[in-house]
Amino acid sequence: MPNLLQNKKLVASDNAWLENIRQQGFDAFVLPNTKVESFKYTKLFDLKADDFIMDSKIVVKEKKALPFDAYEIHFNNGVLDSDLSIFPKTIEVCPIIKNGIKQEVEDLLANLADYKKHPFVALNNAYLQEGVYIKVAKNTVVDKPIAIINHTSVGDENLFYNIHNLVVVENGAKAELVEYACYNGELKSRYFANIVSEIYVQDYANLTHYKIQDEAFKAIHIANNFINVEQNALYKNICLQKGANLARNEINAKLVAHQATAETNTIYKISGWATIDTTTNIEHLCPHTFSNTYVKGVVDGDARGVFQGKVHIAKNAIKTEGKQLHRALLLSNTAEVDCKPELEIFADDVKCAHGASSGELDANQLFYMRSRGIDEETARQILVEAFLNDIIYKIENVDIREWFMNYV
Amino acid sequence: MKTPLLEIEDLYAKVGDKEIIKGFNLTINEGEVHAIMGPNGAGKSTLSYILAGKDGYEVTSGSVKFKGKDLLAMSVEQRAREGLFLIMQYPVEIEGVATTTFLKHAQNAIRKHKDLPDLDTLAFVKSLRVEAKELGFDNEMLKRAVNVGFSGGEKKRLETLQMSILKPDFAILDEADSGLDIDALKVVSEGINSSMRDGKKAMLVITHYQRLLNYIIPDFVHVFANGKIVKSGNKDLALKLEETGYAEFIAK
Repeated sequence: MPNLLQNKKLVASDNAWLENIRQQGFDAFVLPNTKVESFKYTKLFDLKADDFIMDSKIVVKEKKALPFDAYEIHFNNGVLDSDLSIFPKTIEVCPIIKNGIKQEVEDLLANLADYKKHPFVALNNAYLQEGVYIKVAKNTVVDKPIAIINHTSVGDENLFYNIHNLVVVENGAKAELVEYACYNGELKSRYFANIVSEIYVQDYANLTHYKIQDEAFKAIHIANNFINVEQNALYKNICLQKGANLARNEINAKLVAHQATAETNTIYKISGWATIDTTTNIEHLCPHTFSNTYVKGVVDGDARGVFQGKVHIAKNAIKTEGKQLHRALLLSNTAEVDCKPELEIFADDVKCAHGASSGELDANQLFYMRSRGIDEETARQILVEAFLNDIIYKIENVDIREWFMNYV
Repeated sequence: MKTPLLEIEDLYAKVGDKEIIKGFNLTINEGEVHAIMGPNGAGKSTLSYILAGKDGYEVTSGSVKFKGKDLLAMSVEQRAREGLFLIMQYPVEIEGVATTTFLKHAQNAIRKHKDLPDLDTLAFVKSLRVEAKELGFDNEMLKRAVNVGFSGGEKKRLETLQMSILKPDFAILDEADSGLDIDALKVVSEGINSSMRDGKKAMLVITHYQRLLNYIIPDFVHVFANGKIVKSGNKDLALKLEETGYAEFIAK
């Protein structure tokens, strides 16, 4: 039995719904090996360690601030540590579990995230406790980003924690959600953050979801995102994966009604020995739905980038458009990229395209810049930035764009 | 007594296994303009790349001194900072990098080498616009990515704009007239002359055709064939070559 579960079960809850979810997760979790197709390229060796702990003894006092104004929700070492009274009435925010569970949470949570197909959802469910429920009321345009800051500060403890968030953007509302996974100080810990997010973007709603994953260099970060995009709704995701030794950001979006759109853009910029995985699964379940998956990676050192992208078009989903593109820059001879694009098309009359490429920096461009006096390192940096620029410039919020720019 | 700027002595170089430069000698003094003419495949571009320091060219023997220093020991960027500038036959397109950004990086790199402080963006953009206007460069072009979507003439104009900003002491013009119509050729040559003809700066003009030399008038003309200079003269030699071609030199 994998050690991740040996730790212990949580104290039984008297809420039958919750207890059932935990038990099912507990029973279902098996650490996937590389024979499992969806983990073919991503070795989970780091998770076999037998020294994960579930309760940190370290009390975190400081909070990690963002360089822009936002409604901030802080988690420290996996535990909600935030004043939730800052929110205006149009944004409801509460812990998913506290003095009982809201009926809406019971109705929606664990519906999109299928623990049978996603082992790390099962693991997360087994320890379902921490997380927030965010609901943006109908027709609200949120005036500043809502930010979830997962801050880890554990010294040398190998902390294992789970967070499960539920976000509902009601009909006609518009919001920006920021997720920031960060750490404090020189962190040698092999901590493991296992995050599940379930997001509903209802009719005519618009959600832009930003994420920067900047975990400590030995950390493990696994995030499973499930998004339900409803009629005429737009879900836009812009993610930067930069930290951790083992990371996987999985985006599962379902386009369930006419004119639903999902745009996902990911940058990964990695070095060292890290393995960073971006897995996307976009399901077009209804006619006239649109998706665009765009992933760009910069891989240096002995690092390895993994992209698995699937676009699925259901039988009735005619007149849909699904595009997917992965481009990688390899900056060293030992850098590696594994890419598995998949198109599953069961309908006629659809527009689909996918492409993948990987290459090195252009020697002529480097020479040209250096011949103008620019040193090689700066020239390389300029070219890497140029490579990533088109995704960065998809960020409409100037403050957030600058925040991303400082990270790449 | 003239001060030598560039001294090439008995240079041999190869690309892969193929020897391209075979015993090349040339000294260029301050204030001089030398033209090198020659047939296709003589190694003219190879010579310019070796001087600029591009990878893939191996110097097997000989020496090159620039302002008395060993040029071949310098990195590409060091050569540029010391004042060497290459106008390329095919300027490189750099997708995603705005021309202004690129020019600012280049200028600040050169300024840093001269112990001058970085120009702030505003001051830089202001001075850039003045220089650009003289070369008929509109501000929109400066916002576009480096050379991307530029016509042949625009690319060469950007090269001269860089030259006027970076203020090199020595310029190599590698087929600077290729891709230019007569009007563009005039503008580009005037730009080059106003940057480079001050009595101290020098140029090495590599060209197939004599027509560029009507605008950038050389003090010396050399015929380059089979990896070395086979004949030297004044500007009349260029006119003669235009009539007779290079056949007699290739035969040897």
